Amino acid sequence: MKIFSESHKTVFVVDHCPYMAESCRQHVEFDMLVKNRTQGIIPLAPISKSLWTCSVESSMEYCRIMYDIFPFKKLVNFIVSDSGAHVLNSWTQEDQNLQELMAALAAVGPPNPRADPECCSILHGLVAAVETLCKITEYQHEARTLLMENAERVGNRGRIICITNAKSDSHVRMLEDCVQETIHEHNKLAANSDHLMQIQKCELVLIHTYPVGEDSLVSDRPKKELSPVLTSEVHSVRAGRHLATKLNVLVQQHFDLASTTITNIPMKPTVSVFEQEEQHANTSANYDVELLHHKDAHVDFLRSGDSHSGSSSREGPFKETVTLKWCTPRTNSIELHYCTGAYRISPVDVNSRPSSCLTNFLLNDPRYKMDASLEIPLERAKDQLEKHTRYWPMIISQTTIFNMQAVVPLASVIVKEALTEEDVLNCQKTIYNLVDMERKNDPLPISTVGTRGKGPKRDEQYRIMWNELETLVRAHISNSEKHQRVLECLMACRSKPPEEEERKKRGRKREDREDKAEQAVKEHGPEKPRPDSDRLKGILERGKEELAEAEVIKDSPDSPEPPNKKPLVEMDETPHMEKSKGPVSLLSLWSNRINTANSRKHQEFAGRLNSVNNRAELYQHLKEENGEELGLTGGPRTSIPFLKCSHSPVVNRMETTENGKASRQ
Amino acid sequence: MPTVVVMDVSLSMTRPVSVEGSEEYQRKHLAAHGLTMLFEHMATNYKLEFTALVVFSSLWELMVPFTRDYNTLQEALSNMDDYDKTCLESALVGVCNIVQQEWGGAIPCQVVLVTDGCLGIGRGSLRHSLATQNQRSESNRFPLPFPFPSKLYVMCMANLEELQSTDSLECLERLIDLNNGEGQIFTIDGPLCLKNVQSMFGKLIDLAYTPFHAVLKCGHLTADVQVFPRPEPFVIDEEIDPIPKVINTDLEIVGFIDIADISSPPVLSRHLVLPIALNKEGDEVGTGITDDNEDENSANQIAGKIPNFCVLLHGSLKVEGMVAIVQLGPEWHGMLYSQADSKKKSNLMMSLFEPGPEPLPWLGKMAQLGPISDAKENPYGEDDNKSPFPLQPRNKRSYAQNVTVWIKPSGLQRRNPCTLTTEPSLQLHWKLIFLMSCELSVQLHSSAFTQLSQQQSSFPRQRSSHKYTDVQKILRNARKLPEKTQTFYKELNRLRKAALAFGFLDLLKGVADMLERECTLLPDTAHPDAAFQLTHAAQQLKLASTGTSEYAAYDHNITPLHTDFSGSSTERM
Repeated sequence: MKIFSESHKTVFVVDHCPYMAESCRQHVEFDMLVKNRTQGIIPLAPISKSLWTCSVESSMEYCRIMYDIFPFKKLVNFIVSDSGAHVLNSWTQEDQNLQELMAALAAVGPPNPRADPECCSILHGLVAAVETLCKITEYQHEARTLLMENAERVGNRGRIICITNAKSDSHVRMLEDCVQETIHEHNKLAANSDHLMQIQKCELVLIHTYPVGEDSLVSDRPKKELSPVLTSEVHSVRAGRHLATKLNVLVQQHFDLASTTITNIPMKPTVSVFEQEEQHANTSANYDVELLHHKDAHVDFLRSGDSHSGSSSREGPFKETVTLKWCTPRTNSIELHYCTGAYRISPVDVNSRPSSCLTNFLLNDPRYKMDASLEIPLERAKDQLEKHTRYWPMIISQTTIFNMQAVVPLASVIVKEALTEEDVLNCQKTIYNLVDMERKNDPLPISTVGTRGKGPKRDEQYRIMWNELETLVRAHISNSEKHQRVLECLMACRSKPPEEEERKKRGRKREDREDKAEQAVKEHGPEKPRPDSDRLKGILERGKEELAEAEVIKDSPDSPEPPNKKPLVEMDETPHMEKSKGPVSLLSLWSNRINTANSRKHQEFAGRLNSVNNRAELYQHLKEENGEELGLTGGPRTSIPFLKCSHSPVVNRMETTENGKASRQ
Repeated sequence: MPTVVVMDVSLSMTRPVSVEGSEEYQRKHLAAHGLTMLFEHMATNYKLEFTALVVFSSLWELMVPFTRDYNTLQEALSNMDDYDKTCLESALVGVCNIVQQEWGGAIPCQVVLVTDGCLGIGRGSLRHSLATQNQRSESNRFPLPFPFPSKLYVMCMANLEELQSTDSLECLERLIDLNNGEGQIFTIDGPLCLKNVQSMFGKLIDLAYTPFHAVLKCGHLTADVQVFPRPEPFVIDEEIDPIPKVINTDLEIVGFIDIADISSPPVLSRHLVLPIALNKEGDEVGTGITDDNEDENSANQIAGKIPNFCVLLHGSLKVEGMVAIVQLGPEWHGMLYSQADSKKKSNLMMSLFEPGPEPLPWLGKMAQLGPISDAKENPYGEDDNKSPFPLQPRNKRSYAQNVTVWIKPSGLQRRNPCTLTTEPSLQLHWKLIFLMSCELSVQLHSSAFTQLSQQQSSFPRQRSSHKYTDVQKILRNARKLPEKTQTFYKELNRLRKAALAFGFLDLLKGVADMLERECTLLPDTAHPDAAFQLTHAAQQLKLASTGTSEYAAYDHNITPLHTDFSGSSTERM
């Protein structure tokens, strides 16, 4: 449906003249006489609705269904007509709800049967309806403003539903002529106005209603084109339930609705015992609930085969319903289903027991109500993501600080746009704490993957950690002056007199002459710490080496096989197994099993792990130092993208993404 | 998007083409050459897609069912025999069947029809089919438009002049029109030769088979990706906004949200998001397959060793049970999520929402979504045990606001509230998903449709018993006065309001009479307050039923009569 089709604007014109106060002659038995208390009670006089009441409640039902299914962009203007036209609401979205209309109708009240019929006419209302169709809606205005020079693409079409009691067919023709004439006149006016729009297309639906039991003076007539702008149709309907049924059919036609009946919904009725006590019945009975929705919801269904069976029974006016069996929804809401469409619904019988039982079941309790919605645009969320990702190592072994619980207080606040004094204090405390750790020579969770032996020495570890922390803080110093202060604190705490470093290093050199890391530092000059970028590059490079070892990343969407979790090494790889030669002896089976079991209990000797034909090459690193080859070394291969390890402390990193989780204020 | 290649193998395809010098070519050779080029392109860029090959003359045959093995397709091309006359309609019916059997009616499919523009003679010819198209019954409906979203590409082994000399072009254009304009006709520019066939198929590839490459961004983290299948342009409203919208090649993540909050939203299409190697230059088409494959394999191996943001994102979304909201263009969003296609394997996927500022009403306007840290109070609660979603609509829907409708006398014999029993034994037929706590909608899940079964409507039509349950409710509470005073007045006011709006003043009078009578029937044991309240309520209703503005104001509420029995009685004792 186009946005600005005829259904964009619906004008109800309901006759409020004296004859509408007449009874519809369908009795309403409202008196509830309880069986065991009925003796000697005179029943109250039956009452019946007036033509007016029937017309109003049927049109309200039309609006109810329409508002349920199209809460926006489908608008109603309600006009009642007697000695003049009373326009009850406007096209604005705020006026588009049942409560507003009901309140306005209550203010009008029922027609006065003693008013002078000569002064009253439905014509006043019809003229006002044409006038109101020329008025621009906020949606039309918005679309026109948006399209600028293409503003003429915005259509102005509408529908007038007129409920009246006509005298004759010629009276109906007179009403039609009047509408046509008025459109002609108003289109001329609208042509010269910025606030009005010419009516391009108007659908007039004239409903003649009369008391049950009387003969109709007006005949039905299908839709007919009266002019290029105006089409008209006439429905002659008895009042009471017949009128309500007619409007229900019309709302389905006008808004392309279709019906679905959910059958066999198991419900436990609660029964009344002696009209006083309520009690749950033990039995559950199955009920059916009929729903209306846009007919697009059936398109795929009809396409999927036996498309014609739906229209088989033609007895009722809206009997074309697709019948579906209820299936109790599983409460697993954390699964994403492939959904091709979602369509708003409205129950046909909104306050019948099964309907309200079903809707209440589905609605649960209303959960969240917005207080004044602050302007929190999506841009803020993007901004936050930008800040959070300024420094974000993607591999576990590429990071030290994000593996350290001690860094969390700093890392979690430094990404903020602005810091409080308390935040700064916490950051400083974190830094002091790290200094303290360094003094105590606490171990750091530095990955030893890809490095030989025990990995870098402790003071080298701390240098790596400080460098990484500096990178993180530096990424945010432009945020505020307080961020700058954190960096200053960091720089003040981490820097050490170069002599001390030198002295320390010399001491270490004596201890361990073969320390490779030491050599590297020496090469780069012992006094000056390397520029950060160099250092960072070094770290990254190492990360890449590690990755290279880790073969292909296993967790890619293409091949998310879990990483090899087999403990240590399979013993059958050892050459003495001779498995290819003939049948296996019981002894070899047994020793194989024992070996496998034992191998799980200890860490395999690195040399054997890398051995070729049970022979390991020693002092491989010497070769590497000469730049001849980069090879695998004895460390266990644990380098995997850190997200895989949901139990590692790095999961904290993910929690910071949650701050980017969309929410609404 | 799967592809069906429909190849004309009628005799007319064996017409020779004069090619200078070399051996004699037939039109079918040209066609095979073009298709080879298409298959090679797809083997390189559309590895994951399925393609089927159908040949037809007066009969049709499925030569290769849907496959990813382009070698098989290639082989089939060289093993085609020549048959009799062209009969397009039956072949198109065949295509309908093949596609529906394999993919159902919801998956978009491309149909590549390769023909020489000789559309057959007599019965079964396209001319005959089109002429009789309006005289069909439902059972032998013309196969177009295809009963699934489709594009029909007609590759003519003929040039424009040749087609225009007969009415072939016109007929083929009618064919595209019948498919709701979805498709295009390609003809050979200039003389029929291998080179010009290549350029024709090149145009088809450019139009329908260019891979969609994009950069996925989340702050400073980025990854080069291929979005597969290619997202197609989308038209929002033909009248107002007829220009098709195309998604950005920069896909920017704007935030993350729980799966439960986004709750299976309706989507236009779904796509795999595949990381691609960084330094891949333009995809040359038609070069040797083997070389390409080797290059690519090594490129892929290198790519597999570089930390990729896609891997991080996919793993995170999976572990956290969240989706990422991604901006596709101005006022157009989609979501990225991990989709499991087996127990072990899952993929990063992207679904597109309908363009617009508020594609999912239960989340409100997209632009209003913001970071949690901006909220004064964490909307998810300290323990992450609540959620700000779904949002309540500004106006409650009728079923959520206890509306008064008196059109039908209460549907079923209704008594007190029913509760829904949850018996998980029923077979899945339709998913009625509770979407918004305040708004209901039916959600369509494509898989459900195949299981739908229609039954004769068995909706119970209740004979009119003309009992007003709203009146019944008032009466029931009246008998429990004074305990039920609040409920009694609540129901009374609800009835009063509705009666005033509908101009049904007689009902007010009637209910007033009834309450007065009820007062006279009170048993001796009744609390004295009951009589006072009933009389008061009846009096107020009578006043309202006069319709005079003072008492009949819509917003006025009848309040309980203030009485104090407890206080006075204790004093007396």
